[in-house]
Amino acid sequence: MTHTMHPPIRRRPTNVPPQGTRGVFLALLILSVLIGVSFLIGWLLSGLTAQVLPGAPAYTILIFMLLTLLVLTPLTYRLFPWITNWFYLLPALVFILAFTVLPVVLTVNYAFTNYSGANSGNPDSASRTAATLSADRLTVTLPEQQGQNLAEFLKCAAPTCAGGTIVLYDEEASVPYRQPVRAISGNTVTLAAPVPETVEVANATRINRYEYVGLANFQEIFGKASRALWPVFLWTVVFAFSTIVINAVAGLILGILLYNKRLKGRNVYRTLLFLPWAVPAVISVQMWVALFNQQFGIVNKTLGLLGVAAVPWLGDPLWAKVSILLVNLWLGFPYMMTATISALSTINDDLYEAAEIDGASRWQQITNITLPLLRTSFTPILLSGFAFNFNNFGIIYLLTAGGPAQEGRESTAQSTDILLSWGYNTAFVSSGGQNFALASAIALIIFFLTLAISLVNFRAAGVFEEARK
Amino acid sequence: MKKALTVLSLALISQASAATLTVWTHFGDAELAWLRTQAAQYKTKTGNTVNIVSVPFDQIPDKLIQSAPKGQGPDLITTLPQDRLGQLAAAGVIEPMDKYVTSKTDLDKTAVSALTYQGKLFGIPMFAEAVAVVYNKKLVPSAPTTWSAFLAAAQKNTSSGKYGYLADLSNAYMQYGIVSAYGGYVFKNTGGTLNTKDVGLANAGADKASAFLNDLRYKYNLVPEGVDGGAAKSAFVDGRLAMFLTGPWDMGDIKKAGIDYGIMTFPTPPGASGKWSPFVGVQGTMLNAYSKNKAAAAAFARQISASDAQVAFNKAGGRIPVSLSARTKLKADPVVVGFGKSISAGTPMPNVPQMGAVWGPWSNAIAQSVQKPGQNYGQILDKAVQEINSNIK
Amino acid sequence: MTAAPKTPSDLPPGGYVHREPSLLRRALPWLVTAALVIALIVLGQALVQNMQGRQKSFSIYFVERGWVRFLLFLLAASGVLALTSLLGQRIGMARTGRRISYAAVLGDQLTHLFLILVVLVAVYPLLYVLIAAFDPRNSLFAFPDFENPNILYRSGLMPRLDVLSTENFAKLFEGVTIPGWQLLLAGVGGASLATLLLLMLVGRFGRDSVGLQRTRTWALRVVIAALAALVLFMTPAQFTGFSNESKFLLSVRNTLFVSGVTGILAILLSTTAGYAMARLRFPGRFQMLLFFIFIQMFPVFLALVAVYKLLTDLGLGNTFTGLILAYSGGAIAFNTWIFKGYVESLPESLEEAAMVDGATRWQTFVKVVLPLSGGIMVFIFLNQFIGTYAEFILANVLLTGVEQWTVGVMLRSFTTGQFSTKWGVFAAASTLGALPIIALFYGFQNYFVGGTVSGGVKE
Repeated sequence: MTHTMHPPIRRRPTNVPPQGTRGVFLALLILSVLIGVSFLIGWLLSGLTAQVLPGAPAYTILIFMLLTLLVLTPLTYRLFPWITNWFYLLPALVFILAFTVLPVVLTVNYAFTNYSGANSGNPDSASRTAATLSADRLTVTLPEQQGQNLAEFLKCAAPTCAGGTIVLYDEEASVPYRQPVRAISGNTVTLAAPVPETVEVANATRINRYEYVGLANFQEIFGKASRALWPVFLWTVVFAFSTIVINAVAGLILGILLYNKRLKGRNVYRTLLFLPWAVPAVISVQMWVALFNQQFGIVNKTLGLLGVAAVPWLGDPLWAKVSILLVNLWLGFPYMMTATISALSTINDDLYEAAEIDGASRWQQITNITLPLLRTSFTPILLSGFAFNFNNFGIIYLLTAGGPAQEGRESTAQSTDILLSWGYNTAFVSSGGQNFALASAIALIIFFLTLAISLVNFRAAGVFEEARK
Repeated sequence: MKKALTVLSLALISQASAATLTVWTHFGDAELAWLRTQAAQYKTKTGNTVNIVSVPFDQIPDKLIQSAPKGQGPDLITTLPQDRLGQLAAAGVIEPMDKYVTSKTDLDKTAVSALTYQGKLFGIPMFAEAVAVVYNKKLVPSAPTTWSAFLAAAQKNTSSGKYGYLADLSNAYMQYGIVSAYGGYVFKNTGGTLNTKDVGLANAGADKASAFLNDLRYKYNLVPEGVDGGAAKSAFVDGRLAMFLTGPWDMGDIKKAGIDYGIMTFPTPPGASGKWSPFVGVQGTMLNAYSKNKAAAAAFARQISASDAQVAFNKAGGRIPVSLSARTKLKADPVVVGFGKSISAGTPMPNVPQMGAVWGPWSNAIAQSVQKPGQNYGQILDKAVQEINSNIK
Repeated sequence: MTAAPKTPSDLPPGGYVHREPSLLRRALPWLVTAALVIALIVLGQALVQNMQGRQKSFSIYFVERGWVRFLLFLLAASGVLALTSLLGQRIGMARTGRRISYAAVLGDQLTHLFLILVVLVAVYPLLYVLIAAFDPRNSLFAFPDFENPNILYRSGLMPRLDVLSTENFAKLFEGVTIPGWQLLLAGVGGASLATLLLLMLVGRFGRDSVGLQRTRTWALRVVIAALAALVLFMTPAQFTGFSNESKFLLSVRNTLFVSGVTGILAILLSTTAGYAMARLRFPGRFQMLLFFIFIQMFPVFLALVAVYKLLTDLGLGNTFTGLILAYSGGAIAFNTWIFKGYVESLPESLEEAAMVDGATRWQTFVKVVLPLSGGIMVFIFLNQFIGTYAEFILANVLLTGVEQWTVGVMLRSFTTGQFSTKWGVFAAASTLGALPIIALFYGFQNYFVGGTVSGGVKE
C-alpha cells in the first residue's frame, strides 16, 4: 500500500499501447492470431512428421508449436512494438490455455451431454454380430436380433437411422471401421458411402453414442436436490466455516502463549508443534484413519483408559463429521499458530510497555492491543482458508471417502461428502455409474459457487484494489 | 507417399513377427511370481514377450474404459470378476473370446456362464471365489450345521476378549448369502435371464435379512460395531475368535499363523425360506477389444488357464480353480474343498451392466441397517431400490 | 510482501491509533463467542446422546472412571507447580533483588504443563506410527496384551518394543539392486548433507563467517546435484521384487522427479507474468490477472476426463511429462500473485536506475529483479514441490502400473487393498516418504513460513 504514494510512471512513450477496451481487444486479437497460427503450423508440421515417420509421437505438435511461437514472436514485435508487454504473460497464458482452459471448455461441453461410461461414444462389444457386405460394398446385412428391430439395435436417433453410424470389423476385429448410415430396411443397412476395398467386413456393431441433452443434467441435480445438493452444500459450508474458526482459535491461543518471551524452551515447543504441518497430508490423514479405528485405534484405546466407551469415530454420520474437524484441526493449527506468531512479531513492543506502565493486566493487553491488531492480518488468512476448505477434497476423500452411509441420501452424496467429493463420486466411483456428464454439471455449479465466495472474499480482503494498483 | 506406406507396412510386419503383449494384473507376491514364470514360458514357446504391469484391482475397469479406445490399454487383463463385465462390454473395451476358446469341457459350467454375456464369452475363467465360515477347530471341534447349534457355539465362545462369530456386517457383497436365504435377490432370474426391471433387494425377505444382520450385532451381541474384515482376521489369527466369514484371500495369513482351521457354509438363518447362498465371483482373463495382438494374447490367456497352470496358481495363492481336472488334482486341499462347497451353494453375481448401478445404493442400505439397533429396514431398502431403479432407467 | 493487504506497516509510526469502536463492534466478539458456546453445547449433547447404549469395544482395555484419576493427576500436577513456582519466585527475587510477580511465574509453569499436553497429543500419533513402522505384526491392528502387568502394554497405548524389527522396511527394499556408482553418489550426497547440517549447527551456535557460508552453499549444491543424478539415472529395471511395496524407492524417485520438474516449471511460468503484473502498465493487465485467478477456480479434477483425453490425444498418457504438464497448468495464478506481491515490495528505484543506464525492460528484469528474487523463487519452488509431492488423484488417474506410481498413489494402495490393508508397510513407507518433506520444511522453514503466511493461503 505504501507504493501508491508516487503515481505509476509510464515509460517508452514511443510504444504506447492503444488505450481502453479497444487496446485490450486489439492485444487479445493479435495474441490469439499468434497462438492460433502457431497451433496451425504445429499441427501441419506434426501431421507431416507422422506421414514421414509413422512412429512419431503425437506430442510433436507441442514442440512444433513452441518453435513456431519462438519464430513468430519477434516478427509480431516488429509489427506491433507495444505488444511486448503482453509477451511477459505469454508463457503463463499459453499454459493456462492448453492445460486449464481447454479441459474446462471440454468439461463444460460434457455438462450438456449424456456422456458416461455406458454412453462412451465407442463401439459396443456385447452387441457385436455377424455381418455380410454386399458386392457393391454399399449395404450390410445383419442377422435377426431377438426382440429388437434394427433401429433399436443400432441405437439410432432417427427411426430410419439416417445420419447414424455403424461399426464394421474384419474377422480379427483388429480395427473398428466407422461408417455413416444412409437408411435401414428390415435387416439391411444402406451405407452413405461404399466401404473401401481394404476393409474386409465380417462383423458389425453399434456405437453407444453420447448426445446433447440440454439442461437434463441440471434438472436431475435440482430434481433430487433434497437428497444430494442441499445437504451436501450445507455441510460444505458448515465444514469450511467451523474448521477455519476452530483452527484459528487454537492457533491464536497457542501463538499467544508461545509469543511470551519469558517462556523457556518455547522454540522447542514451536518446532514440535510445527510437525503436523510438515508431514504431507496424504500420509498423515491416512494415518488418522488407522488411529481412529473403532476397535484398534489409539484414540479409543486412550479413551478406554479414561473410562469412555469406544467412539465410532468414522462409523457414525455425526461422529465422522467431528472426526473430520478434529483431523483438520490437527493438520491446520500449526499454520494458524505460525501466522499468529509472525503477526505478533510485527507489533511494536513499546505498546505493551506503555500499557504495562498504565497498569493494564496481561488479559487487558491481549484484548485491547493484541487481538485488534491481529484482526487486520488475520482477515485474508481466514477468508482464503474458508475458500480452500470449501474445496478441501483431500481430507474428506482420504479420511472417510464421504461415508458413512446416511439415510435419505443418494449413494454418491453421503454424510461427510462435500460438493467436490460428490462430483468425484459421480464420475469416478462405481456407484456413480461413471456419469461424467452429471459430474461436469456439478463441476459447473461448484465453479460458480466458488466464484461467488471468492468475489466476496476478494472484496473483503481488498484484492481488487491491490490487483488494480 | 508410397515410400511412407512401405515404411509403415514394414513396421507393421516387424511388429507382427515378435509381438510384445502388455498384461495388466492385480496379482501380487507369489501369484505375480507365478504369472512371470508363465510369461517366461510363453516367451520361450512363441518368442513373444509379455510385459506385466501391476494395476490395483479396483482401478482396472475404469482405467480400461478410459485408455483402451485411445490405444493405450493392455492386451490382456488378469483377472476381473464378472460383476462389471456387462459394463465393460457396453463400453466396448473387451473382446468376445468364443473363437479363441476351442474347448470348454474342462471348465466349470457355472464359471463359463458367469463370464457369458448376451451369448458371448467375454473371458477365460481362471478361479472362483465365494465367502464361507472359517472356524478354529480348537474352539469349535465340529462344524455346527443348524442355526441353533451355530448360535450356541458362537455364544459359548463369546466372553471378554473372546469372540464366537465375527463378520463385516456392513459389506453387501459378504452378506448376500443371508439376503438370498430370506428370499432377496438382485435381479429376478427366470430361466437364466436376468430381469433388470425386477430388483428384489427390498422385498419382504430382504427386510428380514437386514433385521437378522442387525440382530447379529444388537440382539445376539456377537458382532460389535466397527468390525471389518481386518479386525475379524486379526482376532482369528490371534486365536481369540472361533468363527468368521471370509473368502479364500485371508487363508494365507491364517495358515501362516498356524491355526487349525476348518471351513463350512453358514447355516440357514432362523425363519429363512432358503439356504444360505453367497455371491460367487468368477474371475477370468479378458482380452482388450482394441488389442493389436489378439491371437497372441488369447494364446497366453489359454496357457495360464490350462489345468496344470491352475494347479500351480493354486499352490501360489490358494485360489479355487475352475478347471475341473485341476480341482480333481487338488481334492486333498482343505481350502479348495471347503470353499468349493460354498461356491457350489452360491449364486453367481449378476454380470449385466445394470449391476454397476446396484452396488452403491445397496451397500449403503446394508451399512445403514447395522449402524444402530432397531431401524426401519423396509424404508431404508425401499429408498435404495428407488435409487437403483432411477439409475438404471 | 503486500499480499496481506493491511499489514501493520500502514499504521502510523506509533503502531496504534485508538478509535472508539461502535457498540455492535464491541458486542460482536461476545455474540460470536456465545453462539459458538451454544453450538458446542448442542453438539456435545447430540454426541452424548449418540453414545447412549453403545457397546464397549471388544479389543480395548477399559478402566472404569479413568477420567477421574486423570483429573486428579492434573490437579496434583498443578498443585506441585504452584509450590515450585512459589519456590522459584522466592529464589529468583532473592537472587536478582527485583520484584517478581507470583502470578506470572505460576502462569508460565501452567503454560508449560498445558503446552506439554498439547505437544503430547499433537506429536504422539506420529511417534506411534513411527514405532509401528518397526513392528512386523501389523500393530496398528494388533490386540493389546490384556494380561501384561504394564498398563501401557495392557491398554495397547504403546506398541510392543520387544518385538521391533526392520521387517517392514525390508519389504520396501526387497529385490532392489543398486549399482556401485549409485551407492557412491548416495554416499557423497549423504556426506554433504551431514556436512551441511553440521555447518548449520555451527552457524547457529558459533560464529558465522563468509567462508562457512560459502562451504554451506557448496555442500547444498553437491547434495542437490547428487540427488538429481540419482533421480535421473535410477531405472525400473533395478527393482526386481514381486510385491508392489518393493517398488517404493522407485516411487520416491518418480515423485522427486515429477515434483522437481514441476517446481522449476512453476518458476519459469510465473516470474515473467508476475513481474509484468507488478510493474508494467498496459490495458488488459488487470483483466488478465482476474482471468488467471478465476479460471483456476474451476475444480480441475472434475475436468479429469477432459485432461485425460487431452493428454492421451497428445500421446502423453501414462507419462511423467503429461503429469508434469497437467500439474504445471494448475498453480500459475497463485504463483503469479505471490511473485507480483514480492516485486511490488522491492524499491522501484533500482530498476529506474538500471533503465536510466540504458537497460531495456527485459534486461532490467533479468539483471536486477531476478537476482533479488532468490527467496521468493525458493518459496514458489518449495510450495509447488511439496504440493505436487502429496498429490495423488491426478497421478492415480494419469499413471498406470506400479512402476509409474508416485509416493501418494503407492501409500493409498496400502490402505485400500481389495480385502486387506497393509498398515505395517504403510507405516514404514510413510516414515520414509515423509522424511524428504519434513527435511525441506525444517531446512527452509523461514522461506516457507514467510511465503505462505504473507500469501495468506493455506496449504
